[in-house]
Amino acid sequence: MQSTNNDAIQVQDLEKRFGKFVAVNKVTFSVRKGEIFGFLGSNGSGKSTTIRMLCGILTPTSGQGTVAGYDIFRQPEEIKQSIGYMSQKFSLYEDLSPFENIRFYLGIYNVSPTLWAERISWVLDMTQLGDVRDRLTRELPQGWRQRLALGCALLHKPDILFLDEPTSGVDPLTRQHFWDFIRQLASQGITIFVTTHYMDEARHCERIVMINQGSIVAAGSPDEIISQACPDTQNADLNDAFITLMKN
Amino acid sequence: MNLRKIGAITRKEFYHLIRDYRSLYLAFAIPLILILLFGYALSLDVENVQTVIVDYDGTRQSRDLVRRLDASPYFQVVAYLKNSGEAADWLDHGWTTLALVIPPDWTRNIQADREAPLQVLIDGSDPNFANISAGYITAFLERENTRYLHNFLNRQGMEQMKPPLEGRIRIWFNEDLESRNFIVPGIIAVIIMIVGAMLTSLVIAREYENGTMETIRSLPISAGEFIIGKAIPYFFITLADVLIAVLMGQVLFGIVMKANFWLMITASSLYLAVAITLGLLISSATKSQLVANQISPLVTFLPSMLLSDFVFPVLNMPPVIQTITYIVPAKYFIDILKGIYMKNLDITYLWPNFAVLFVMAAILAVLNVIVLKREGM
Repeated sequence: MQSTNNDAIQVQDLEKRFGKFVAVNKVTFSVRKGEIFGFLGSNGSGKSTTIRMLCGILTPTSGQGTVAGYDIFRQPEEIKQSIGYMSQKFSLYEDLSPFENIRFYLGIYNVSPTLWAERISWVLDMTQLGDVRDRLTRELPQGWRQRLALGCALLHKPDILFLDEPTSGVDPLTRQHFWDFIRQLASQGITIFVTTHYMDEARHCERIVMINQGSIVAAGSPDEIISQACPDTQNADLNDAFITLMKN
Repeated sequence: MNLRKIGAITRKEFYHLIRDYRSLYLAFAIPLILILLFGYALSLDVENVQTVIVDYDGTRQSRDLVRRLDASPYFQVVAYLKNSGEAADWLDHGWTTLALVIPPDWTRNIQADREAPLQVLIDGSDPNFANISAGYITAFLERENTRYLHNFLNRQGMEQMKPPLEGRIRIWFNEDLESRNFIVPGIIAVIIMIVGAMLTSLVIAREYENGTMETIRSLPISAGEFIIGKAIPYFFITLADVLIAVLMGQVLFGIVMKANFWLMITASSLYLAVAITLGLLISSATKSQLVANQISPLVTFLPSMLLSDFVFPVLNMPPVIQTITYIVPAKYFIDILKGIYMKNLDITYLWPNFAVLFVMAAILAVLNVIVLKREGM
């Protein structure tokens, strides 16, 4: 089901139930190609379940959707091959060096060995980890590991990059660098789908969807969401909007 | 199945192994220790039964009897005691296994052609050992009886007669009846189970505990590729263990394989595949290294020791347990090893066991894939 339109991700009435519990209740949204898309919600709001369904990890109960042109029910392997996924835990192999981690991802993404040398130097360059390529990953500072995880998720030049709370536990300066880099990627045409707890970060997104108890409670640009959620408050920011929307 | 993806997993797993060298120590120390321990210590042969003598008779004839007993390879007289009380004391302390009490007037009774009983006391706290000792002493006394019978007949003026029945016994396959000859093959089966299954029972659980399972789930790799990639390094490590065990058996104990070496390697590889897929299944089902570590000896080591016909004969077990032994992979492998090591059998005899091991590995692999798929792989 190769989609022809301009949407990188498209879901309609997507639902996930675990027994009687409805984790995601018929959500509908779409993400345009090359856009930085924020997906916000409190813990347990169905945010992680949604991202896992989009990444081909979890099969939805009902609904329909495509990611990178592939059907989320029938083509999870094709989806995994065309997206990059980086989760909050920076789950790299810590007893492997950055170089060995990179080689692992190159193999798993089935990148042709003729491209390996070029991709390795590209990622080491981009993540500025060339000097520590043979140190053990666990010895590196958290911010560096985060860069490495991001680099690994990009090795196969994916169309879409999923970032699940990519910056938790990272200092503000590193976060700043991180977002500069994300914007750079988006300008190259890569679609960015990001979840975060930091509302100042959500400001970087072009469009945002907020989810609470499995249902979408707001959608639009950051400014639209603020004016919808807090019409009466002067100088309201995303934080206020988030708290208002999550209370209900 | 994509070889590049499998190779990536294998390479990564290999790095884990060399970085966490404790598991490598385990992989190579276990076979060395087990072979030495079992090869030297676990001997089921009974020789030199420790014997004490209480000779109330004190004649030349009674002393001759004791001399002949001592000369047999099965008995070793360790003390001559004054009375039965002392003999009981020795048995109580465990200083001896057998006491032979020759009553007063024993010689005179024989000469008068009367019954001449001897008292034999055996320490039954190790029933197997006691049984064998009782068998030895019975056989010994039987021979003595024959001799007295001949003497008696001669004295009666009859000519030397030969008893008509005589079993001409020839032991096949393990001519010297050395228990070590089947203990070492058996221990190979236990080593493969321990190393192959216990080490691999940690590797998927470790991915869950480190959070890297989430990464694996998000990557384009199938459960089958994942399992094969993980199995390969452990396959070769355990195969190296098999070679070490075979070599040690040969060098230290002179146990030489009678059949084809490659048949042995093929059998080991199949059995290894069972061990590794079992370990990986434990790992993906428990998702915890601690739990896996506690479960794996229960389902790998113990059945291989107890229910495999290795130390304890399955035929002597109650029917329910005998039925259970049919699902113990070690049973089939030990059967193959006995055939290869002692009977020089070839594949035409052994193929059913090969087939069972192959099917077991296949079933375990499929279960593994099902479990991982259910976890979102």
